[in-house]
Amino acid sequence: MRNFKLSLMPPVILLVGVLASPVFAQSTDNESRAASMEQEQAMKSTTLRPYVRSPLERAVTRFENTLLYGATKWHAFFEGSYDGGGFAPGVGYVQRVSAYNTVDVRGSQSIKRYSLAEAEFIAPRLLHRRAELSVVGGWKDATQVGFYGLGASTSTSDRADFAFEQPFAGARLKLRPTRRMLTLVGGADVARWSFKTPTGTAPAVDSLYTPATLAGLGTTTTYVHSQASVGFDWRGAPGYARRGGLYAVTAHDYTDRDSRFGFRRLDYEVTQHFPIFRESWAISVHSLASTTFAKNGQQVPFYLTPSLGGGSDLRGYSSGRFRDRNSLLLQGEWRIMVNRFFDTAVFYDAGTVARRVSELDLTGLKHDYGFGARFHTPFATVLRVDVARSSEGTTLVFGTSAAF
Amino acid sequence: MSSKRLIAISLAVATAVLVSEVPTATRTPRFFRDDPLGREPASQDASGAASSEIGDLYEMVYNLFATSRYKASGVRAQNINTVDEVPDSHWFTNRIGAQALTIDDLVRGPIVGDAPDPSRWTIFREKTSGVHPGITAKDAHGDTWFLQFDPKYYPDAATASVMMATKFFWALGYNQVETFLTTFDPTRVEIGPDATVRRPNGRRTPFTHDDLNAILERVARRPDGTYRVVAGRLLPGKVLGNFRYEGTRPDDPNDVVPHEHRRELRALRVFGAWTNLTDLKSANTLDTLVSENGGAVVKHWLQDVGSTFGMNNDLREWDLGWEHFYQRGTTLKRLASFGFTLGPWQTVDYVEKPSIGKFEGVRFDPRAWRPQTPTTAYMELRDDDAFWAARRVGAFNRDMIAAIVHTGQFSDSSAERALVDIMLKRRDKILQAYLPAVNPIVSPRLCESELFFDNAAVDADVAQAPRRYTAAWFEFDNATGALRPLAETSSATTVMRAPTVLPTEMGSFVSVQIAADGTDYESWRRPIRAYFRRQIDGWKLVGLDRLPEEPATLVASRR
Repeated sequence: MRNFKLSLMPPVILLVGVLASPVFAQSTDNESRAASMEQEQAMKSTTLRPYVRSPLERAVTRFENTLLYGATKWHAFFEGSYDGGGFAPGVGYVQRVSAYNTVDVRGSQSIKRYSLAEAEFIAPRLLHRRAELSVVGGWKDATQVGFYGLGASTSTSDRADFAFEQPFAGARLKLRPTRRMLTLVGGADVARWSFKTPTGTAPAVDSLYTPATLAGLGTTTTYVHSQASVGFDWRGAPGYARRGGLYAVTAHDYTDRDSRFGFRRLDYEVTQHFPIFRESWAISVHSLASTTFAKNGQQVPFYLTPSLGGGSDLRGYSSGRFRDRNSLLLQGEWRIMVNRFFDTAVFYDAGTVARRVSELDLTGLKHDYGFGARFHTPFATVLRVDVARSSEGTTLVFGTSAAF
Repeated sequence: MSSKRLIAISLAVATAVLVSEVPTATRTPRFFRDDPLGREPASQDASGAASSEIGDLYEMVYNLFATSRYKASGVRAQNINTVDEVPDSHWFTNRIGAQALTIDDLVRGPIVGDAPDPSRWTIFREKTSGVHPGITAKDAHGDTWFLQFDPKYYPDAATASVMMATKFFWALGYNQVETFLTTFDPTRVEIGPDATVRRPNGRRTPFTHDDLNAILERVARRPDGTYRVVAGRLLPGKVLGNFRYEGTRPDDPNDVVPHEHRRELRALRVFGAWTNLTDLKSANTLDTLVSENGGAVVKHWLQDVGSTFGMNNDLREWDLGWEHFYQRGTTLKRLASFGFTLGPWQTVDYVEKPSIGKFEGVRFDPRAWRPQTPTTAYMELRDDDAFWAARRVGAFNRDMIAAIVHTGQFSDSSAERALVDIMLKRRDKILQAYLPAVNPIVSPRLCESELFFDNAAVDADVAQAPRRYTAAWFEFDNATGALRPLAETSSATTVMRAPTVLPTEMGSFVSVQIAADGTDYESWRRPIRAYFRRQIDGWKLVGLDRLPEEPATLVASRR
């Protein structure tokens, strides 16, 4: 009997419970939709809690605050000390020293052990937001810079290497007097070039050349470099543009304190972006002509001659592949907007170097072509990957800025 | 097995069967005495709700890469009442389409107080939301206003968009900020002694004249040296940050319907398409804590509706309204074709007027319209939600639209006319897209001997009338949900004779399932289900299912 009662209890209790429960009640006159909803709200009022961000939301918000307000001071830094060093990972630490001014201490070392350590002070809102001042000082080191000889007819088998280390310090003021297109830039820096034995597999420069056959070889030179530039720049942003243009002339003066290798240099640069289909395509062209003039009785050192080859100019050639007293670069890109953050591009680069300006013509241009992909924001190129093909092979370029 | 054990098992099985056989429908009646509900209650004190913001970047990333892949549940909106309408609430107030609004009502919109006195502005901080330049200032009366200027490349457009959009969205039912077009004269401005601005280093430091100049250099100036600004009044109550387009506020006891299932939030996909509200994101919303009946409730605002009509963040954003910032399919197509698969925005003819921006109505396709980023509520839009929204859009006639557009005070009258024309074109396309997509029978009325109803698609002139309408009549048991067939009738018009066998006792219910026959629209053959309750003054409509989720014999738990 006892067992029987126990066996029956669960279903009976369940039946009675279900029949007696309020939700089962048939009477509806005293019930209302509003009351039912209020009951739901009353139940929720017993379990209230503040909104808690998910780990992903916290992380992204922290990153956003970093971008907007510099909440995090450490940052990645991918700039190498000199072209041709390869991928150069590094780190920096930004300290805001006033509302807008910053000091950034940073360093990197490339896969070829090129090193860079520098500190830069930036004041971006001088002269009622018309001017930006940058003061930078540091030390750099390059262990195996390729030199293929002067002129456009050199061969890859001519490669020799040089290495240098260099302390440097300088300041640059960029001025937009009307806050519009007109841009003036002036600056000066001091740098000492000290050469050392290269670490690469190519022979050292001083094993193939002598100071008599290659200006600047075997010397340590301290330069005072000053520059002035005037230009018209109406690109949306220098770091990423699909419209507008840049037309600029820059004059450089390199004064050798020993009066042996002093020279002047002029750069003429034109960039123009032609938007098509509402900027979803852009034909972008870029031209840069550089000429150098040795000062009286002095020479242009080989390591400061204009050069072509590398990730931003003749992309199908190795860095510094062509050098001489004058250079001409012509580039064209067909840029295709894939989405708001990603572009692809088909490009063609051509250029040459020559001892005399009159020898800079369009015959015998070195050229390459290729395809690229770029991740970007509205104002900056975050990552550029270009595959370039030239007569000397195929190269893969990684960059953290636009080619031009 | 012993007999006792058999009896026990039998009883248990019988109980289980009884419980399962007692229709779940009988647990609650289908219709309560206060159905259809006119106002969503907010019975609990929400004074414990705390401020919480959503980061712009997080929301964009989440919506572009997670929400865009969200699979719509197909769940019917959960805040609708039994007649398929949205009751008033702290989110929404039925206005156009539900009550007679005059031109004056529309022009006044959300305004309840006086306009600002621009004879002196006292700045006390920067503008904290939106992309267009602005400041926060007190007028000569000491009232706080958020001032927004026109960028140089869009004279009139940014301020006009805010003016017009606040009135359109107010009329559509949303809580809107009181906004006025007014003047900012830099010779009558002072910087408050405690005015500050947040610097890039994160610190607040005193607001300077150079800070003001930095703003004024970027904005459109009138020939007399003054600036046209739109002034938004400081909202009453404590600011709680943005609301989200999914889930509920965990600290608001009255917020029990997931936001993605609130019809008025889903419907922003339709209203957004009409007005081109491209910046449809939480950061443009606001919750405030306001006092009510001795307690506190959370009120929900569409705070910034300025990214509307042709107004974009930048002069060269032709794609807004046509594509999300990122779409996987479009990305792959463009990647594979080197950009040769052109989207409509690449070739569409915009009305290129600087006071309008990028806006057009010829190639506009409401179903293809895309905000910058999707929201979960946007993804959850069903055809019945869109139908509901389209009827409200259709309630705006040319005079109403023209009156609201006129509040933008365009200096170029041709721009004003063009905008009206575009809004009308877009309105008509919305009606065309959404009204015939479901059975468009609305407003069923049952008199003693006749059933009247309307066809919203036919009335809007976007569809041909069907050859005939059919109706299946049932006696409806409100307690059990059971239907007892009474008769079937038909009519070539929207007036139909009712059967003579309708119940006569007070409190009895009939259900009428009305469909269309002889029409190209397959969806019209799916009947709407109307429920009437007999009252002293006749039959009252208490229920209407346009796209129900479950058989009518089951009681829905929705409200």
